[in-house]
Amino acid sequence: MSQEAILQVRDLHVEFETNDGTVHAVRGIDLDVMPGETVAIVGESGSGKSQTTMAIMGLLASNGRARGSAKYRGQELIGLPERKLNRVRGEKITMIFQEPMTSLDPLYRIGRQIAEPIIHHRGLSAKAARARAIELLDLVGIPDPARRIDSYPHELSGGQRQRVMIAMALANDPDMLIADEPTTALDVTIQAQILALLADLQKKLGMAIAFITHDLGIVKRFADRVYVMRGGEVVEQGATAALFAAPQHPYTKMLLAAEPTGRKQPVAAGEPTLLEGRDVEVVFGGGGGWFTRSAGEVRAVDGVSVALRRGQTIGIVGESGSGKSTLGRALLRLLPSEGTVRFGDKDISGADKRAMRPLRRQLQLVFQDPFGSLSPRMTVGQVVTEGLKVHEPGLPARERDRRAIEALKEVGLDPAMRNRYPHEFSGGQRQRIAIARAMILKPSVVVLDEPTSALDRSVQKQIVDLLRDLQKAHGLSYLFISHDLAVVRAMADHIIVMKSGRIVEEGPTDAIFDAPREPYTQALMAAAIDGTPFRQAVQT
Amino acid sequence: MTTDTAIPAEFPPAGRSLGQDAWLRLRRNRAAVASAIVLLLLAFAGIVGPYLTPHAYDRIYPQYVRAPASLEAYPKEDAIVPAFQRVLERARVEIGEVEVSGTTVRAPVSSGEPLDPRIVRYVDRSDLFSNARLEGEDGNALAEGATSGVMVANVQRLRFLFGTDANGRDLLSRILIGIRISLAIGVLASTMALLLGVTYGAIAGYLGGRIDNVMMRVVDILYSLPFIFFVILLVVFFGRSFVLIFIAIGCTEWLDMARIVRGQTLTIKRQEYVQAAEALGVSDAGIVRRHIIPNALGPVVVFVTLLVPKAILLESLLSFLGLGVQEPLTSLGLLIAEGASNMRGAAWLLIYPAVTLTAILFALNFLGDGLRDALDPKDR
Amino acid sequence: MFGYVLRRLAGAVPTLFIIVTIAFFMIRLAPGGPFDLERALDPLIMQNLERAFNFDKPLWQQYLIYLGNLAQGDLGPSFTRRDFTVNDLFRTGLPVSIQLGGLALAIALVVGVFLGALAALRQNSWVDYMVVGTATFGITIPTFVIAPTLSLFFGVMMGWLPAGGWGTWRHMVLPIATLALPQIAIIARLTRGATIEALRSNHVRTARAYGLPSYVVVGVHALRGAILPVVSYLGPTAAALLTGSVVVETIFGIPGIGRYFVQGALGRDYTLVMGTVVVIACFVILFNLIVDILYAWLDPRVRYD
Repeated sequence: MSQEAILQVRDLHVEFETNDGTVHAVRGIDLDVMPGETVAIVGESGSGKSQTTMAIMGLLASNGRARGSAKYRGQELIGLPERKLNRVRGEKITMIFQEPMTSLDPLYRIGRQIAEPIIHHRGLSAKAARARAIELLDLVGIPDPARRIDSYPHELSGGQRQRVMIAMALANDPDMLIADEPTTALDVTIQAQILALLADLQKKLGMAIAFITHDLGIVKRFADRVYVMRGGEVVEQGATAALFAAPQHPYTKMLLAAEPTGRKQPVAAGEPTLLEGRDVEVVFGGGGGWFTRSAGEVRAVDGVSVALRRGQTIGIVGESGSGKSTLGRALLRLLPSEGTVRFGDKDISGADKRAMRPLRRQLQLVFQDPFGSLSPRMTVGQVVTEGLKVHEPGLPARERDRRAIEALKEVGLDPAMRNRYPHEFSGGQRQRIAIARAMILKPSVVVLDEPTSALDRSVQKQIVDLLRDLQKAHGLSYLFISHDLAVVRAMADHIIVMKSGRIVEEGPTDAIFDAPREPYTQALMAAAIDGTPFRQAVQT
Repeated sequence: MTTDTAIPAEFPPAGRSLGQDAWLRLRRNRAAVASAIVLLLLAFAGIVGPYLTPHAYDRIYPQYVRAPASLEAYPKEDAIVPAFQRVLERARVEIGEVEVSGTTVRAPVSSGEPLDPRIVRYVDRSDLFSNARLEGEDGNALAEGATSGVMVANVQRLRFLFGTDANGRDLLSRILIGIRISLAIGVLASTMALLLGVTYGAIAGYLGGRIDNVMMRVVDILYSLPFIFFVILLVVFFGRSFVLIFIAIGCTEWLDMARIVRGQTLTIKRQEYVQAAEALGVSDAGIVRRHIIPNALGPVVVFVTLLVPKAILLESLLSFLGLGVQEPLTSLGLLIAEGASNMRGAAWLLIYPAVTLTAILFALNFLGDGLRDALDPKDR
Repeated sequence: MFGYVLRRLAGAVPTLFIIVTIAFFMIRLAPGGPFDLERALDPLIMQNLERAFNFDKPLWQQYLIYLGNLAQGDLGPSFTRRDFTVNDLFRTGLPVSIQLGGLALAIALVVGVFLGALAALRQNSWVDYMVVGTATFGITIPTFVIAPTLSLFFGVMMGWLPAGGWGTWRHMVLPIATLALPQIAIIARLTRGATIEALRSNHVRTARAYGLPSYVVVGVHALRGAILPVVSYLGPTAAALLTGSVVVETIFGIPGIGRYFVQGALGRDYTLVMGTVVVIACFVILFNLIVDILYAWLDPRVRYD
């Protein structure tokens, strides 16, 4: 039986006036959401998926214009005057956002923020609204809601904040919930919890959900129908199962195939240990200046031992706050730490900056944020050759340039671009530049701190392939730190799982992934890998 | 799906740095460009102007005290004519219509008897006229025994485009000198604040920890001291000199600069590209030189353009209180102070310097705003 | 919070101490003395005066005597106005300055925040341009230009208000206007910038997404964050305004304490200058503390324990 669509979008266009001309973010898309179903809009960054929902909800930035049609139960939303639009949004259609850190007002208690839409839309008294808010907090799984209701947002964790947002979104029994990348900024295990919560609530309350994401795993588990967007257009749409089984459009095919593939072979047992840390401890003291609160000590790394052999890739996985990045930096002596660190046969535990300098060219580091790790005021050529200036100061400029060209070519970039500035490149290109900067020194050990996390899936695959090629060509050893299990699985032959500064479990890749022993590892695997389906598709 | 490494052919080989981006954005800001032009013109006027005006800024004309601004040169025609007539009356001749053209004044004279050539002395004796001579109607020397001729004399005419002040000094020249002094003090004081503040702030920010705490505590204490206190004591101690004033102003401005640079340094230190440089093994000095300073320049430059008007205003305030540059040197503040006390009856003495100062300050503010927008663009 | 306040106040004592010391020695080291400006006095009288004011003792001893008096709240006798002690002068002058400055501050706050918020809400409209333009104007034109102009125009030419003096509310209008105008300009600009940023923030987007009416979005969610920078600015500004403005008090002939400093420095009236320094420093420290507390009250993320 056919039902009337809750949301019907036809030929929606969204444009932005910028200093560099008009940017056409959404180019005429059609979309339908039926009551009670879950629709996913998937695409990479820049595909226009977020702007679509922003336009529908009237939340475009001041330089944005929307045209076309978006009807909620027959009522046209595009161009609707604000007062009328306010009767729809917050009550009939609600939205939760990607950044739970900043989406709540930091200056007011959460109880007041949840109650606000209730009071304004339903006309309840403050007391009644507060009671309802406590109910909602309980519904979304916040423990001790009667007390928690008076907390401020900064007193809650990211996952809890997102639950509060969900509570707000459900307060007025909406017909439809728009979730814009609601779990992207959260840890893997928390992600799983939030998604389970959403699925559960949908079953209970029966609202439609429009899910915007770039994560295909979520789409596969969660959505009834999918819209694939690219460059502002819908390139393919259909029922989830069908789309995943037999994608039609080449872009969809590419997206689905972008899981990093391949495996790393373990190294021979006789290979020497290059970098070793024993009982490493990193403690961040509290008590700073006159006005900062002394938070007390934080044990970021609590007695960890690692041994990296030549040719090996050790993957260190964990969620945020597990201490994996801190461990990487401590091993490179970029942070002070207790315990022993050896490089080759040298004990570098107490090495100061000067002692470490000659060793630095052997021990390189690639960072997570391709935008932040390149100095914005230096050309690419200067960035890449900075290390040469330190370690081979006698090198003439021409020779430096030649090596820069070589290094850029090796990472797959056009060497003619070395006179340009980092902000003119895409994220993936910048990460290649960062890799070139490390490789030009011909290191033996490279620590990679979440090198692919800030990149789109398709680009991630390229970077993984590049890193693998470089490892083979130069006999490198990698310490690969990441929270992205799919990437780690493809890169590493040995895995260390960390939580709260301690090693929870370690072992060869296959063992960890296929037969995790510790409950935390098991939870991690379950949350990340395509596994248990989270809900069944809606029967129409 | 193409890889993201191919660059379309139409990209230029040389990159566009952030600085060049900012420059282009600045050029598009019409208010900022106009302000920059105005500032350059005013600076030029201040530097070169005093050499070009006919009057020295400290030359006193006792006969022209508080002369209003006028395009016409002094003495005005309607003052010359009766003066000439009065002079000639003493010579006891008949006087025709007096003509004034430029610096020459002529009047036909006649008498019953032949004109005594010595009557020119009457004219020469007057303060106003000089080089008096009798000529015939044709312009040549008067013929012997002629009974009518033309008395010609020169009149020194002075133009005071902006009028004169209470001492009889040309206001335009003084304003030009005032521009020079005010801008010089503004720039010098700001430069000093810049050098002091950047060094102090960068060191405090980079070293961090206890040194940073102590250094910033010092800044906080100095901040509690009222500015006026500092400057007045310095001036009272060392006397009023040009050099001292800009040192004194610079000494108070550097506090804000140090705070800003320290904040910037702390932020930049935490950036990943600084950590990357450490991982490469770059020395501390290298990091400061190559990474911290270039990246901190943005807000620093913007702040400097706000410092200069502040310094000029502070100097003006000092002059107003009687503690500024010493006579006969003048600054715009001093001129305004004089203008304020001469407001009734000589309004131009207040208006012209006030407008000039306001124009400079406006221009600096717009330029500063433009720079801020260019270096850190957001939707306006 | 209480512990924090106590700690701040305790920390203020060494600060004050350092300031007093620096001030003391700086003013004493300046050439000249308080008696130089008058006609030459009989040497015997000079000697007596010097003894009475402790000038015959070595400098460090005078310093200690001063500190001792200061600890008891005695600011000493005025050297140039010899019928009065500094405490007397302040007792009459300080309330005047506080009244003048306080009213100016209050008016500047209300008008400035209102105009700034208005400009931000109507960004790039003619209202915005007018507010920004007037604000630039108000910041650039020096007080010592505005004051005589207002006095001339309203006082002498129009005769609506007295051109100077102090006594009735009429006398207050022009000086308060002069003091308030540049502050209105600065506060308006600060508010405008902060409000524009707040309106772009994520939590305001959330408020809009939930269909809250505009006055709630702006009044509740945007403005509270937007006035934070204004609050920070207020600290030193309040101290400066409440301790009198030299220019305004001189031009309008107001019997506040603003003039004391300059006159005292020029006349080498050591105690008067020191007294002014002490008072100003106390005000600055006090208001910085008040502002910090206010800030913590407004922003729950900033809590001192």
